[in-house]
Amino acid sequence: MSTVRQIMSTVRQWFLDFGDAFHQSFIEDDRWLYLVQGLGNTLIIALFAVVIGIVLGFLIAIVRSTYDREGKLNSLNGKHKFLNGILKFLNGICKIYLTVIRGTPMVVQLLIIYYVILVSVNNKIFVAVLAFGLNSAAYVAEIVRSGIMSIDVGQFEAGRSLGMNYSQTMVNIIMPQAFKNVLPALANEFIVLLKETSISGYIGLSDLTRGGDIIRSVTYQPLLPLLAVAAIYLVLVMLLSFGVGRLERRLRNNER
Amino acid sequence: MSVRGEVLISVDSLCKSFGEQVVLNGITTEIRKGEVIAIIGPSGCGKSTFLRSLNLLEQPTGGTITFEGTDITDKSVNINKMRQKIGMVFQHFNLFPNHTIKGNIMLAPVKTGLMSKEEASRRADELLERVGLLDRADAYPSQLSGGQKQRVAIVRALAMNPDVMLFDEPTSALDPEMVGEVLELMKQLAKDGMTMVVVTHEMGFAREVANRVLFIDDGQIREENTPAEFFGNPKNPRLRDFLSKVL
Repeated sequence: MSTVRQIMSTVRQWFLDFGDAFHQSFIEDDRWLYLVQGLGNTLIIALFAVVIGIVLGFLIAIVRSTYDREGKLNSLNGKHKFLNGILKFLNGICKIYLTVIRGTPMVVQLLIIYYVILVSVNNKIFVAVLAFGLNSAAYVAEIVRSGIMSIDVGQFEAGRSLGMNYSQTMVNIIMPQAFKNVLPALANEFIVLLKETSISGYIGLSDLTRGGDIIRSVTYQPLLPLLAVAAIYLVLVMLLSFGVGRLERRLRNNER
Repeated sequence: MSVRGEVLISVDSLCKSFGEQVVLNGITTEIRKGEVIAIIGPSGCGKSTFLRSLNLLEQPTGGTITFEGTDITDKSVNINKMRQKIGMVFQHFNLFPNHTIKGNIMLAPVKTGLMSKEEASRRADELLERVGLLDRADAYPSQLSGGQKQRVAIVRALAMNPDVMLFDEPTSALDPEMVGEVLELMKQLAKDGMTMVVVTHEMGFAREVANRVLFIDDGQIREENTPAEFFGNPKNPRLRDFLSKVL
């Protein structure tokens, strides 16, 4: 009898403690606002970084794959030695960019941009957007390039043989197919990016992770705030995966 | 029956090498309006490279190609404009899987500014009707048989109203039962007076439809004659050897 009572009392105590901890972590002094504001910043950083990543990544991928194909397919018709020279130069720049970005840790890049390159800029969000965007672009570029190169060269030749120029062929024939092929890999990259923004705390930016950590440091109760942070990331990633899955299905339906 | 129309394409000492390997070694010939030319030869002899040079999918390393009075190997020529008048059909169809059948046909005429959307749509319907595939207009290429795909590929090229059509082994990737429908369409084209250059292994087609047959071996034209003479009385020993193997 007494053991039952003991268990009952333990459970009751646990609930009481949990209630206390919950109250302390989120309700008291409106601490939940740390998480909400942090989430807002995380989303802003991730969203704009993705935009930079996509735009810059596609540009780099197009430069690189144009350079790879150019000689073989006479796509520029060898018309301008000058244009070829520019292309070679741009390709060189892109290669260096990819090597540096992919060869150094994201945290280090973030710190360098914040403390060295943009030292006079006070807007931490802006710095983070730029750092994560530039980083993501390198990975997006290689993903997109692999997509472009995976399209049968016959597709390209068919477009050109019909009299369409290089960019018309790329935009109407190659890119839509390439994009569909790399969508899963791109989604993966964006998931990584979203989670990687959690290092924004290194430059003192209050993102979601930092928000949870602040609560922990005030209440000395690590469990709930950190679990909450983890759960929010998880939900975000699941939403993202779900959205991409739907997009993928829609693109596939287009063909079958 | 030789055709004495005006010269459409004139090829002069055309050479092409990939690095050390010489694929075309001085090809000179003329293609006249309304002619149907069949090109045969052993695999790797350069016949596809020759055909692909005619619209500069392969950049020649020497010689000139004059199309309707313009030397298209000249770097200052707008090759896109030239290619609009040179239709090409590939061995593997190369239809665009991300467009419908009708979309495949309309894409180039609209994007190159040759036709408005409405004109291109009408032209596509008309061409699809002609090859009996109008009911598949909204299907995607993956839903078609090989023979149907190749017929669509042919009318896709025709939609640009080209002055000449190049065929790169158009029936080689087809199941035997589908070869007939494609050859039939090509025969109709020939009858309508389309100028055609056909790289083929279909000796029957070459004999029946072509005005002139070229035999290419080792990057050179070894024999060039009317089909009757070409098949009936081959002079080049390598051609005789080749014909004895394939006929």
